[in-house]
Amino acid sequence: MTRPPTSPTLARASRRGDSGRVRAAAAALLLAATCGGAGAVELSMWVMPVTTNAQHDVPDLIAPFLRSHPGITVRVTVLDWESGWNKITAAAASRRGPDLLELGTTWMPAIAAMGGLEPLSAAQLAQVDNGAAYYPQLWKTTQVFGQKAVYGLPWYADVRAAFYRTDVFRQAGVDPAQAFSSWDAFHAALRKINGQVVAGKRVAALAYAGKNDWNVVHNLAPWIWNGGGDVLSADAKHSALNSPQALKAIDFYSSLAVEGLVPSNALEKDSDILEGAWVGGDYGVIFSGPWLMRRIFEAPPGAVVRGNFDVAPYPAGPAGHATFFGGSNLAVFKGSRHKAEAWELVKYLGGKGPQVRLSLVSSMMPARIDAANDPAWTSRHPVYARLTAIAADGHAYPPIPAWGPLETVYTKHLGQLAELSSGIGDKYSVPAMKALIAGTVSEADKVLEEAN
Amino acid sequence: MTAVTGPGLDALASPARETPARPRRRRKVDAFPYLLLAPAALMMVIVNLVPIVQGFRMSMLKLNQYTLSQFMDAPFIGLRNYRGVLLDPTNPVHSGMLGALRNTALYSILVTACSVALGLGVALLLNRDFPGKATARTLLMLPWVVPTYVVGTLWGFMWQRDEGIINHVLVDVLHLMDHKPFWLIGGNTFLAIVIPTVWRAWPVLMLIFLAALQSVPEELYEAARLDGANAWQRFRNITLPSLKPVIVIQVMFQIIDNVYSYNIVAMMFGKGAGYPGEWGDLLMPLLTRQSFSYWRFGEGAAVSFVMMAVMLAFVAVWMKTFRRSMTSEA
Repeated sequence: MTRPPTSPTLARASRRGDSGRVRAAAAALLLAATCGGAGAVELSMWVMPVTTNAQHDVPDLIAPFLRSHPGITVRVTVLDWESGWNKITAAAASRRGPDLLELGTTWMPAIAAMGGLEPLSAAQLAQVDNGAAYYPQLWKTTQVFGQKAVYGLPWYADVRAAFYRTDVFRQAGVDPAQAFSSWDAFHAALRKINGQVVAGKRVAALAYAGKNDWNVVHNLAPWIWNGGGDVLSADAKHSALNSPQALKAIDFYSSLAVEGLVPSNALEKDSDILEGAWVGGDYGVIFSGPWLMRRIFEAPPGAVVRGNFDVAPYPAGPAGHATFFGGSNLAVFKGSRHKAEAWELVKYLGGKGPQVRLSLVSSMMPARIDAANDPAWTSRHPVYARLTAIAADGHAYPPIPAWGPLETVYTKHLGQLAELSSGIGDKYSVPAMKALIAGTVSEADKVLEEAN
Repeated sequence: MTAVTGPGLDALASPARETPARPRRRRKVDAFPYLLLAPAALMMVIVNLVPIVQGFRMSMLKLNQYTLSQFMDAPFIGLRNYRGVLLDPTNPVHSGMLGALRNTALYSILVTACSVALGLGVALLLNRDFPGKATARTLLMLPWVVPTYVVGTLWGFMWQRDEGIINHVLVDVLHLMDHKPFWLIGGNTFLAIVIPTVWRAWPVLMLIFLAALQSVPEELYEAARLDGANAWQRFRNITLPSLKPVIVIQVMFQIIDNVYSYNIVAMMFGKGAGYPGEWGDLLMPLLTRQSFSYWRFGEGAAVSFVMMAVMLAFVAVWMKTFRRSMTSEA
């Protein structure tokens, strides 16, 4: 870092004793000096594989920022979702890490609670209009439950919806508008489309994964919300999976597999394989996110799914048709020695233009409302506009620091619903399901007890 | 042979006639070998002893998500972590531990027995001359060359009910079953982790047993044949006793390896919480999941130390029981 030069203006202001102006001028000079000298600051940035070639795409995305800040260079490191958590927690614990980083929305409260992230100052918050441009559900994920501090900006969003095959629905005589209007209608629709033979292939009604998948909780949560339940109590101190509403939703969700509308062999697979199979024409409906569009675009020209799919919100339950809303945020690392420059880059990437550009490369939805409604995104394919509309009913998990351990508890136990639903070993029954949920709640409460 | 006489023996027999003792020269210690060993010893201390001592201290700290930034300065709570993980049924790390303990014991015994039996059997077959022997031995070693995490991933696909090659072979090709069973859901999960482990483990045992077999003197077999011993008698009375030291050591290594087995389960079932279900969970995946993923590092360290103590006790008992078998005098 170069020393800021002494200027006549600064000297005059100092003589007048105008300390506020002196500090402002000094700060401006400091930033100018650090940003102005060629190669003066190198920022280290950790990102997840947001695109298939993030090592190339992220530098492309920040190239305009670097042109307008010639004194800054950025070294981008792409982590992966499996090892990224360990690397980030180790960095947070040791205070040695990057200058700025991407964090999954459920990771952010944990890392913030560890003291690993720099909170936004009042001035920084004012620069982003207190987050008014972002989806409020995602803005909450930049905070810690029950606290006011904000630790970053939402970067991109993961919103879930029902991807369905229009040709299968048409052949079975099912009206999609009706099919997703209620749980009963959805159930009836699945029964009609199950076993339809389209393009020489027998189509199973619905696909969702079992225990060997990271989406177990994300898949189930919208059903619980739509049934009027929640994953946590209002004060976030207890698991709420054993509420009557949640139990009813879990029962409905499981019954789809028990009845054979979700084939048993789907329950031994993970989301990635199932999405590939849906694109290949094996299933009528799958709940997924915007990244599935990338797979559809990459499908061979003759693939049956091309031109024969659409999206719909989650089937409406007694309490609505909410969907899971997650994604990633950007934050300045507490241990950074270049916080001002790192914040400038975070702010830039949180802007509308970069968010639209990223969404076009990654197929992930922008986290800003204006970017998600930008024609560059919504007119790319009608599905993107629908995803933007569906996002209005998005729910994010409460931003508690203990979400990480809690999600592992939930995934471990709720993944066992697949064992019950598959009919192998113990048969599915409501008492058996309730016993499984009771064990889940007991273990989850113990994990939460430590956090409170 | 001549009798040994002379002043030397007389001197030994009669201390009174002992010649005046010369001043004893202190035996000079050669430091050079110790110098050569020092770097290795230092590395052992750094790589093994320091982490063990640090891990033991961690097991007495309240080290979790909220105290991780303090690391070794986290609150000291004595043996509370040990009590929690061993005795408190509501402790999240304890949850499912008995099932994992049962599975680990069965898994270790079964994998060890099958791997040793298979390795020994194939080694006996290879311990004779036939065309292509070297090629066969190389090809048989291939499973061992595959890293365990690749084994877990590959078998995870092979066990799939409809698309997996195992059901295709069992049902469609060999017609051994009427329907395709699930291997990755339910009780079959246990077999789904045992079989790949055996598949990978036996070739190296085969190689070790083959090397040991080649050191058994051929004269013993020739003498036995002359005495009219049949193949079983030769195996039971010559081969097995000759291999006993190797078998005893290899069984011990196998049991240690299998108790600490992690990769295959993690790769086969690690995309969610890493929980394979009631019949597939082993101690190390449980420890990883319910310590690291739950952020209960102090309790995880406590479980690790309990496991280490149990394994040390096992090794001590094993070594004592088979000490004589491990020596050539056996």
